[in-house]
Amino acid sequence: MDILYSVKEEIARIYSRYESYIVPVLKFILLLVTQIFISANIGFMTKLKNPAIILVVSLLGAFLPMNASVILVVLIVVAHLYELSLECAVIALCVFLIMFVIYFRFSPKDSAAVLLTPIFFYLKVPYVAPVVMGLSGSPFSGVSVACGVVLYYVMDYGKKNADKAGTEMSLEVAQAMAGFKEVIDGMLKNDEMLLMAVVLALTTLVIYVAKRLELEYAWKIAIVAGSVIELVSLVGGSFVLDVKISVGLAIVGIILGIIVGLVMEFFMFCVDFSKAQNLQFQDDEYYYYVRAIPKVYTDINFDDDEDEE
Amino acid sequence: MISEEKVKLMTKLAAYEAGEGKKDTNLNSYFRGDYMSFQIWKSAIYGTAGFCVYVALTILYDLENFLEEFYKMDMVSYFQDLLVKYAVVVSIYVVISYFVCLYRYTRGKKHVNRYLKALSELYSKYSR
Repeated sequence: MDILYSVKEEIARIYSRYESYIVPVLKFILLLVTQIFISANIGFMTKLKNPAIILVVSLLGAFLPMNASVILVVLIVVAHLYELSLECAVIALCVFLIMFVIYFRFSPKDSAAVLLTPIFFYLKVPYVAPVVMGLSGSPFSGVSVACGVVLYYVMDYGKKNADKAGTEMSLEVAQAMAGFKEVIDGMLKNDEMLLMAVVLALTTLVIYVAKRLELEYAWKIAIVAGSVIELVSLVGGSFVLDVKISVGLAIVGIILGIIVGLVMEFFMFCVDFSKAQNLQFQDDEYYYYVRAIPKVYTDINFDDDEDEE
Repeated sequence: MISEEKVKLMTKLAAYEAGEGKKDTNLNSYFRGDYMSFQIWKSAIYGTAGFCVYVALTILYDLENFLEEFYKMDMVSYFQDLLVKYAVVVSIYVVISYFVCLYRYTRGKKHVNRYLKALSELYSKYSR
């Protein structure tokens, strides 16, 4: 255990020292991985699959705010779907517009969740997303996770219809009216998407609320309670909506979510790396250049009497 | 001689000013009524935009039928129906955003009050 604590201390030290480099690198990796998954699954537009373009977009994303990166990714998805069929691109654009109307009004801080959730889906562990966001996000992180679910299922629709590219779908462009109906049916009348969006958003909210309870082992209680609710609502919802889900895979995913949650607790409960700040101030006698790292995971917002050093 | 106590307090104040404080100070410059009405208007505009996209989607869904029926349909009842749907959707959206904004305003106000209290505490330390 001592070794783990010293590893944690070392990571905290490295992070606090090189934070200004680490954050852009992490953003670069997130955008790179997202684009690789997009290209591998719905890479219909060959120009956007070009490694040079992928690297340039990722590099751009490293220095842009996360919200701009999300918009960039959404535009890339729409461009790929446009190559598949015009109807697909138009409907996807409408869906994303509605999504952003909800998302940007309530949860503009959790942009990473919108990109991370589809990645978790592609890695077959979507149940990890609510644990990660519930423990590290805000009360509205559930909205971001739900938006990520929608993004994934829109891409999934494109992937499932990839074989129609250039054949049936291009014929349907001529029959645009019927084409729109088919795309809307396929893309939006999707009970599985609805079920996953509701279950993951609910789990995120439960974990966030339980984590903030003034209880001993609040984080562990939150992780377990959220996971139980996730499994119950998933199984119950699948019966109600008549959606086929793999319960075995769900249980494995949820157990993995619990493990990830416990690892996050270990790293985040005592030291919050992400809120480290470089501060400058002065009084009559001195100039102060201070690097403040909150000991407890919380916003520096005068909610609690947290200590800083 | 550097006072550790003062440095801690100043660090806390500076950290708040650099982070959440920016947003809270902006929020604190409004009276509650003004802030809420501004946010409600903003939500209504967002809600209207979202509803327009939704209407476009529903028209696209049944475009063939819509174009065929366009000149035959009772326009008054069609727009009445649309208006009722619009009122319901935007009302729900505005009510939800009202509570979200109220929560944010109350929280921000509380933080600003605590910040001002800490600031006066710092001032009294320097006045001694």
